[in-house]
Amino acid sequence: MKSEESAEKKSRELERRVLEKVEHTITSINVSKHVDEVITALYSLAACLFPLNPHSFSGSVNEKYRDELHAVELPSENERTEWWKVFYKGSSFRAFARVLLYDIASSWLACFPISARKHVYDLFFVNGSTAEVVQVVVPCLQHSRNDSPETDSVCTSAERLLVLCLLENDGVLKIAKEFTGCCHSEDLSHEQLKQIISRVAQLVTAIPDKARRGAPISLSPHLFFKRITTQLLNGIEECDMNLIDEAAISNDINMYGAILFVGEVFARICRRGSADVLLSEVIPQILGHVRSLLSSTTNLKLNETIQSRPGFRFWLKIMEAIKDPYSVERIAEQVLHQLAAQNASDVEGYWILWILFHRTYKHQISIRSTFVEKFLIWKVFPICCLRWILHFAVLECVPDNTSQVKSYNASGLTDAVQRLVSIWSKREFVQSAPTEQQTYITAALGLCLEKMAKEDLDATKGALHLILQGVSCRLESPIYLVRKMASSIAYVFSKIIDPQNPLYLDDSCQVETIDWEFGTANPSKGSLATKMHCTDEKANKSESPSTMLCGKEISETDVDGNDNMMKSRKKKPSILKLIDPDEVIDPATLNNESVSEEDDSDHESEDSETSSGPSLQPYDLTDDDSDLKRKFSQLVDVVGALRKSDDAEGVERALDVAETLVRASPDELKYIAGDMVRTLVQVRCSDITVEGGEESAEEKRQKALVALIVTSPLESLDSLNKLLYSPNVDISQRIMILDVMTDAAQELANARIQKPRNQPKALITSTSDQPWFMPRSTGPPGAGSWKEISSTGTPLNWSYSYERELPSRPGQIKKGKTRRWNQKSTMHENQTEWSQNRFPQYAAAFMLPAMQGFDKKRHGVDLLGRDVIVLGKLIYMLGICIKCAAMHPEASVLASPLLDMLRSREISHHMEPYVRRSVLFAASCVLLAIHPSYVASAVVEGNTEISKGLEWVRTWALQVAESDTDRECYTLAMACLQLHAEKALQAAWSRVNQVRSESC
Amino acid sequence: MSKRPPPDPVAVLRGHRASVTDVCFHPSKNLLFTGSADGELRIWDSVQHRTISSSWVHSAAHGIISVAASPLLGENKIISQGRDGTIKYWDVGEGGLSRNPLTSIKTNSYHFCKLSLLSKQSAKIKQSEVLKNNQDVEDRKDSKDSQSFLGSQLESSTQVEGGDDQIEVPKYIAVAGEDTSVVEIWDLNAAERLIQLPHCSVGSSNQSTKARGMCLAVQAFLPSESQGHLNVLSGYEDGSMVWWDLRNPALPLTSVKFHSEPVLSLCVDNSCRGGVSGAADDRIIIFTLNPSTGSCLVKKEIILERPGIAGVSIRPDSKIIATAGWDHRVRIYDYRKGNALAVLKYHRALCTAVSFSDDSKLMASSSEDTTVALWEIYPPQNTN
Repeated sequence: MKSEESAEKKSRELERRVLEKVEHTITSINVSKHVDEVITALYSLAACLFPLNPHSFSGSVNEKYRDELHAVELPSENERTEWWKVFYKGSSFRAFARVLLYDIASSWLACFPISARKHVYDLFFVNGSTAEVVQVVVPCLQHSRNDSPETDSVCTSAERLLVLCLLENDGVLKIAKEFTGCCHSEDLSHEQLKQIISRVAQLVTAIPDKARRGAPISLSPHLFFKRITTQLLNGIEECDMNLIDEAAISNDINMYGAILFVGEVFARICRRGSADVLLSEVIPQILGHVRSLLSSTTNLKLNETIQSRPGFRFWLKIMEAIKDPYSVERIAEQVLHQLAAQNASDVEGYWILWILFHRTYKHQISIRSTFVEKFLIWKVFPICCLRWILHFAVLECVPDNTSQVKSYNASGLTDAVQRLVSIWSKREFVQSAPTEQQTYITAALGLCLEKMAKEDLDATKGALHLILQGVSCRLESPIYLVRKMASSIAYVFSKIIDPQNPLYLDDSCQVETIDWEFGTANPSKGSLATKMHCTDEKANKSESPSTMLCGKEISETDVDGNDNMMKSRKKKPSILKLIDPDEVIDPATLNNESVSEEDDSDHESEDSETSSGPSLQPYDLTDDDSDLKRKFSQLVDVVGALRKSDDAEGVERALDVAETLVRASPDELKYIAGDMVRTLVQVRCSDITVEGGEESAEEKRQKALVALIVTSPLESLDSLNKLLYSPNVDISQRIMILDVMTDAAQELANARIQKPRNQPKALITSTSDQPWFMPRSTGPPGAGSWKEISSTGTPLNWSYSYERELPSRPGQIKKGKTRRWNQKSTMHENQTEWSQNRFPQYAAAFMLPAMQGFDKKRHGVDLLGRDVIVLGKLIYMLGICIKCAAMHPEASVLASPLLDMLRSREISHHMEPYVRRSVLFAASCVLLAIHPSYVASAVVEGNTEISKGLEWVRTWALQVAESDTDRECYTLAMACLQLHAEKALQAAWSRVNQVRSESC
Repeated sequence: MSKRPPPDPVAVLRGHRASVTDVCFHPSKNLLFTGSADGELRIWDSVQHRTISSSWVHSAAHGIISVAASPLLGENKIISQGRDGTIKYWDVGEGGLSRNPLTSIKTNSYHFCKLSLLSKQSAKIKQSEVLKNNQDVEDRKDSKDSQSFLGSQLESSTQVEGGDDQIEVPKYIAVAGEDTSVVEIWDLNAAERLIQLPHCSVGSSNQSTKARGMCLAVQAFLPSESQGHLNVLSGYEDGSMVWWDLRNPALPLTSVKFHSEPVLSLCVDNSCRGGVSGAADDRIIIFTLNPSTGSCLVKKEIILERPGIAGVSIRPDSKIIATAGWDHRVRIYDYRKGNALAVLKYHRALCTAVSFSDDSKLMASSSEDTTVALWEIYPPQNTN
């Protein structure tokens, strides 16, 4: 007890002495008149704390102080350590630092010689306890608000000191090391330590925020965080490696403070939004570790290896040290993105996730939900990340294609599938979720399903029903990608139900592995490679039975071959060929061959008999029946043939000729057009054509319809519009009607009218011997020869003029007359063709009837509800129409009813993005179509309809651009806004011009 | 080896204003006769490819069914058969057709069956026999009405070589009769009907013949075994063919049914050992005839892609056959083996007839597209 007491007494005594010394120094600094006095005072304190040689800087000090410097007595080394401890742990450093940082920095430091600054001033910070230094220096930065020169110099020096301590002298690592020991050696409690650590970490990471604009570049967040991260990572790993010899138990405690600090720093870096910087340092390091580990060991018991291996302990614990769930989430997110950027393979990705997160994942519910809920459902990652997430969080097994045993966590899988499918199957999700997220969730579901066995599926409640629901509501979608998702899921699902009999909903997707990225992202090479690997294996497996079959076939053909051999020796070589076991032989070709050979020999024998062989060599016997088909020459016949749906061939031929006949626009066309339109719409192409020919028949039909509308617009449109809302046509026919009207409108708008070219009369004749530019010598007898008229005007005359004497006609009154000839002006001859927009005159016929009935619901017609695609197409068609009539007065007239239609709530706020896209398109078309002067006059004359409509377009587009989930809607809305702005500008200009011309 | 493309016609004769229904070469001169559905008969120069004469020989409303020329008829004679129920016998002069027909027979038959003269070549072969038989005929002149002798009488009609025999000798024509299920044999010179096949002397109509339906094709021929008695092959609506020997006109020699649709054309080769038939179904039958046993057997059946053969013809040298198809194509087959040799595409409407020239060098095809095409296909190598 006594010794304890005396020790305490001794330390108090020491503390008092240190304080005295500090006080003394401060006073001497305060009274000093010359910089060298300050240096001497500082030195006297520094010498007590640090091993210092005055010679290193005495050269820069004046003579008279130099002796003083040398006179300072140097304490022993032990004493010095004691002093150092007391100085930094107690309050003395803080007190002294204030003097250093504020007084000296603002008044004296500028006068310090560099060597002196380094050895007497910087020393207190660089060689001190960095944790303390940070706590003292960082607050100085905060006083930079008022820009007096003193505070400025204080801040500058503080910044300099921070760069010096933390970056150049690995200060952050020093802090970590300082904390390493304090856990058990100091009397600080656990809680206190934590508080200190968190405070220091807070200060360190706050430095970039506090640094002023003129601060050194290395204090900018990116560089600063990057440097301290590398510092920490390298240093800590080194420590970890060095600790190998010590007992594992003490390791934990030893490392605790350091790891806590590092964790705290990382967490705060993430909080400050620099998780990417942090992870860009972390990932290469850990990836390197994992790669070397994977290459050196087998997958078996890898987790145990990792846990026992030095260098990994830090990685295993670091995430535990980060208490802030938000930061953990950010880190996890960044880990995934960075790994994807580094093209990590599935196995590597899995192990890195495992190393970093498996402890926290086990113990902390928040982390678990981050992975299983957020990452799987709400966030969007590249697909390879999705695979890692699934393996780590859901399946909880190594992504391993080779092992046959199911080692995954089945209950986790069913839970995840259940969660995914319940979201995936919702119609609202399909309608409102962004494409990326839809792709992601679909991929997640698909990948889960790929891993599932039938019993797992049975264990998932309601999965079957939900999947079917999701598939069916996607298959109706007008967007190809969405349909593709449905068919992919359906395919995977069907493979669970019956692996032998997969379901292909889509002809184009006949591949074994599905691209879950649906072509939206670039596949990372690593994952692709594994995929390929996987498929190769599958292919090998599936091929093995077929090769066996081949073997059988070969043996059978061998038997055949032997038979043949008995028949004739001639075929021997071919049989020898057959026996080659590697060759795959189709017995059918074999038979053909032998038959044809026999035939030949037959012929030969007969030919030799009759000796008529060479003269009767057959010609090419190929024959096509193309010429037999052209039969229809009258539209009436075509219509008749189209009506006979039982005569498929006739209908097909009629379709073939329909367009050309219509384009010829015979006289009877206008009487038959309506009838023909109706017939064409009702033709069922799929019924009449053979497999594979539907497309071309469909195309011909549409072309014929377009031709009809173009050649005879009013009659055709009359019946088309009637059909559009007729209950007797189905959705596909309605869509086709709209497509055809769209095409026709465009064709009418681009119509070209050809004016016959005025053939220049034979001005130039090559037959006559005189030059081409001379006038003909024909004329009445007695005419004189041509003479050139000298031009009166400019010397640059492009044409020649000639004159000649003509005798007077008999009976002509004699009057002096000279005829002058000149070349004909060729000015107007080149105007042979011009294009003319024929559409505007029919625009009303196109648009008005179609706009009338869209909101009516009757039998088989429900545009606002079920027939989303028809509605979308209708609006698109109207948009095209108004665009085709652009800048014509008709467009201005039709614009306001169209805008009225678009404005109706059930259209402009339709659930389906497809419809909204169409509306945006149509609105943009309206903006394009109306003439700026019309807008101007509407505004001036108070035509509220159009100006209100245009204003609505603007506000609504703004609203879409801000809040719509569909990306395409967003881009369209932006384009629409731009058009609106342009139109407004043009309108303003036209108004200005108008006013100007009026005032003139 | 890529096959040669099929040849194009060497010439196309245009000028008819309606569907050309039949075509036939002059037996020795370079002349071609064509008849059309509007009753026009044209004579063409087959070397210069020009029309020599054109005359309206039958009424436009009815048109010509067939034109026929044969050495049996004489050097400058031609027969035209119209759908107006007449057969007209013309003299071909230098400037064209005689103004009026030498003979006009009113058969009162309105149908589509082309008439048949004796197959030309067989007539020549039979010359000697004919002469021999003529003596017999002389003996029985008085019993001319007895039609059982008709066969031998027929031979008297065949000319001694050259056109020097100007005497009126009977020339026979086989054609479907007024009752279209019956084949009638007419004497051209006398313009009278000699016999009906089947010959029903008792007056009771032969049910089996009736059941065959209309006769749509006839071919008269003269096999050596028949000792100069005329034989007739006739094809019917139900697809059957009947072989008559005029020595027994009441009952057919044999009856076969190769086709499932009406037989539209028949041709017997010059040796009278076989022939070809075309029908409305999708097959061409090359068959053999054996006069001694009276059997008719299928030698080769050719299946077509598209049905309908309006005319068949065997080249005089019996090497190849040609068919005129409803599918606008003329097809050439090897007569011996029955394999296809060429598909000739030129016509743009269905083909009505094909015919070979006597020297086998030229072939003519007629079509409803109003054209006649001349072809040189597999010309004989060593001709004089």
